[in-house]
Amino acid sequence: MSNVLLGLLSFPVMLGLIFLRVPIGIAMLATGVFGSFLITGSFNPMLAQFKSLTYSTFSSYSLSVVPLFLLMGAFATLSGMSGKLFDAAASWLGHRKGGVAMAAIGASAGFGAICGSSLATAATMGKVALPELKKYGYSGALSTGTVAAGGTLGILIPPSVILVIFAVQTEQNIARLFMAAFLPGILAAIGYIIVIAIYVRMAPGSGGQRERVPYGQRFSQLVGIWPVIAVFIAVIGGIYTGIFTPTEAAAIGAAGTGIIALATRSLSRRGLSEVFLSTASATAMIFFIVLGAAALNSFLALSQLPQVAAAWVGDQGLNPWLVLTVVLLLYLVLGCVMDSLSMILLTVPIVYPMMLALDFGLAPDDFAVWFGIIVLIVVEVGLITPPVGMNLFIINSMAKKVRLSETYRGVLPFVASDIIRTIILVAFPPITLALVWLFY
Amino acid sequence: MGQDVTLRVHQFLPAQAPIPSQAIAPWAEAIEAESDGRIAVELYPAMQLGGAPDSLFAQAQDGVVDVIWTVLGYTPGRFPKSEVFELPFLITNGEDSSEAFYNYVMENSADEFASVHVIALHTHGPGLFHSKDPIATLEDLQGMKVRGGSRIISNMLGQLGAEPVGMPVPETAEALSRGVIDATTVPWEVTPSLRLTELVTNHTGFSGEQGLYSQTFGFVMNRGTYEGLPEDLRAVIDANSGIEVSRAFGAVMDAGDEAGLQIAVDAGNSIVTLDEEETARWKEAAQATIDQWFADMDAIGIDGQALYASAQEHMAAVSGQ
Amino acid sequence: MFQDNSPLGRSVYGLAKGLALLGGVVMVAVIIMITLSIIGRTFIWAGLRPILGDYELSSMGIAFTVFTFLPWAHLERGHAIVTLITDRFGPRFNAWLLVITDAMMLATAAFIAWRLYDGMLDKFAFRETTLLLRVPLGWAYAAAFVGASVFVIVAIYVLGRSVTNAVTGRTEPDRAGAEI
Ligand code: NA
Ligand code: NA
Repeated sequence: MSNVLLGLLSFPVMLGLIFLRVPIGIAMLATGVFGSFLITGSFNPMLAQFKSLTYSTFSSYSLSVVPLFLLMGAFATLSGMSGKLFDAAASWLGHRKGGVAMAAIGASAGFGAICGSSLATAATMGKVALPELKKYGYSGALSTGTVAAGGTLGILIPPSVILVIFAVQTEQNIARLFMAAFLPGILAAIGYIIVIAIYVRMAPGSGGQRERVPYGQRFSQLVGIWPVIAVFIAVIGGIYTGIFTPTEAAAIGAAGTGIIALATRSLSRRGLSEVFLSTASATAMIFFIVLGAAALNSFLALSQLPQVAAAWVGDQGLNPWLVLTVVLLLYLVLGCVMDSLSMILLTVPIVYPMMLALDFGLAPDDFAVWFGIIVLIVVEVGLITPPVGMNLFIINSMAKKVRLSETYRGVLPFVASDIIRTIILVAFPPITLALVWLFY
Repeated sequence: MGQDVTLRVHQFLPAQAPIPSQAIAPWAEAIEAESDGRIAVELYPAMQLGGAPDSLFAQAQDGVVDVIWTVLGYTPGRFPKSEVFELPFLITNGEDSSEAFYNYVMENSADEFASVHVIALHTHGPGLFHSKDPIATLEDLQGMKVRGGSRIISNMLGQLGAEPVGMPVPETAEALSRGVIDATTVPWEVTPSLRLTELVTNHTGFSGEQGLYSQTFGFVMNRGTYEGLPEDLRAVIDANSGIEVSRAFGAVMDAGDEAGLQIAVDAGNSIVTLDEEETARWKEAAQATIDQWFADMDAIGIDGQALYASAQEHMAAVSGQ
Repeated sequence: MFQDNSPLGRSVYGLAKGLALLGGVVMVAVIIMITLSIIGRTFIWAGLRPILGDYELSSMGIAFTVFTFLPWAHLERGHAIVTLITDRFGPRFNAWLLVITDAMMLATAAFIAWRLYDGMLDKFAFRETTLLLRVPLGWAYAAAFVGASVFVIVAIYVLGRSVTNAVTGRTEPDRAGAEI
């Protein structure tokens, strides 16, 4: 059997394992180790490789940014800033039609600016926003749909853990990717707010509004969220201006949100232990998959599949935009059953060189950034597409009286806005690249 | 396709960088041609087969791959005796210094490479300063934040009065452009890939043949792979190993230096060569680094002074050619 | 024996939790170190200086941290899985499936620890050190090996727990799991 064919066959085998509930990291690692055995005829290369592979993967300076961002988000979650963010957003938006839901989106965007993960954003904002939404008569479908969709802003607005992983995998600059994510992230928030405005008009009685708040109070509540703004500016500003490396910025951010938690007196011994343990679970989950991906990638490189696939796609004279559309649709489908990180780690080694071989009229570095952002958006849609969407599950479990089918129904308009946004960003690369071009 | 053996060559730079494209690829072609296609060489650039650059040497030793090219300084402590070629103001151009380094290792530190089969050993050309503000005298360096790529270089920067900042290469360009560091030390060969000439406008080298410092590289093969080759194929490898191959790798470094220098000249940057008197001051200041290295070697039971003397002899021998 | 409220279960939980918390403390130490180094770098003009080897210290610290987190994540079922298809099968099928995947996790943990141990011996034998501080890498590997060993212990316990559950027909309580 040719090595390329082996590489190709490894995917159905691996997906089979994954669908049989084998932890994704193990499926990738085992496929890598056994695949490499089939190519080299010996286990020795992989045995030798693993003498240093685990440690060198875990000690990668670029990846050390990941646990630090997770810790930063965990402190932010603990600190109760989500409540202040919601209050501030609600004082500006709450009196509009559907305004309380809009405020939940605004607060999610704000929280996303200091939290690099989607689920943490969804869960934190769910705690704050769901009771308020209920109080003002929002339907279960709209409430849970809003908060689940808002959670994806945690990843779309920088800092973003998934973007870090993509940057490391494709050897791109994290700062450039964060910069590129900014406008699409804002567009996402605006898109969700428009969805809510249309939703409450088309389904009257699905949501109410709050009393109008005088401007003095609105501004004083904006002032109240200054620590969030300060941390965001320090972290993202520090990365954008290059004063800090991403790892340093994440350390500063974790210190910043830790101090906020301390200042708001939420940092008890118990709270600190919760912060550490939730960071531990998420960190280990990510690094375990990254380790599996390292073994898998090394096998795939040996099989020459990525090189052959890229050359093949380049030779076919296919329409690049058609290929991109097919790839994005595949991501969308895969996203209905899989988590975004695994999807990226699993597919990028094959898909990225293939896409690089096509001509989109962009410089390679610009293409990498643009493609990275679009893939990020599409895999994040996976978090809110039925039947398997982690954000849907977590939010639904928090809203005890809402059926899962209602949540599925409520989130669909948000998925639609995601798809429209993706089409816009695909059609107009400058929207994504403008800030990058401006600053680099 | 009728080949008897496949050699997998792994290294950390992209395929189009000077050494991979102008030294390793021609070597691979020569091997394939001279073996009548019985040896197939597969090139894996940019750590495609996995692991970090600092695991490359172990990969060759343990047979993860067959051949690797690496910076010896990526595994500090592993090649203490070979490290002498990193000392300040020892090496000259890449081609001659590579021959001297190869001969030096064969005479003094072959044991450090006993676990592999050596194909080539080489250095890069003279390292020098690339800075935002001009460095015309030793005083200009005082308090300047400078990146150094190894402990010897960092020690030296500190002893020369600079503030050494340790930092991975990929971070350098960004750090320079944002003022985290004011200067960096690399040979000209590296400057195009880092786009250094766009980030700094001053480059400071030294009078005389010797450069500020160098780094050392190894192009080595798994011992089992080498010994398992049939005799005639081993002869093909042997014919493409040793001093001449080492010189060829060094020559690629020199050509890269010229190309890098030309880019800086074309950009209209200020390129300063310190005069003999000023260079002598730097050499004097850098003596502390050499003494420090002697002390470090003493501590692990190695006669650093004798090794340094041998390195100087080997350098003198090639310079006389 | 293999129950979370048994003496064995409580000790394994204590061990994994204690180690993860230690990892958290090391992470905080890394954060403080990085902050001090940035301050030192910013105020070089005032006579301060960055911490020598800050990059390698943070790499080493975070590597140790990640190793200390592995056991806890497995104990708490934090690793990413896809249950879309298996949810359609009955609890008995899933209980035995869990036994198989937990055995795979034990094999993986043992594999990681075994290779890491050999890697540690190599690092000591070849006297490899970090770049600037010249910390012997063998010690960094040894610290990581502590985490890897506890990972194996936890994997044994978790396998025992799922075997017991499969045999007795109990089901494991749902755990939140980790997500990002
Ligand atoms: Na974010
Ligand atoms: Na989904």
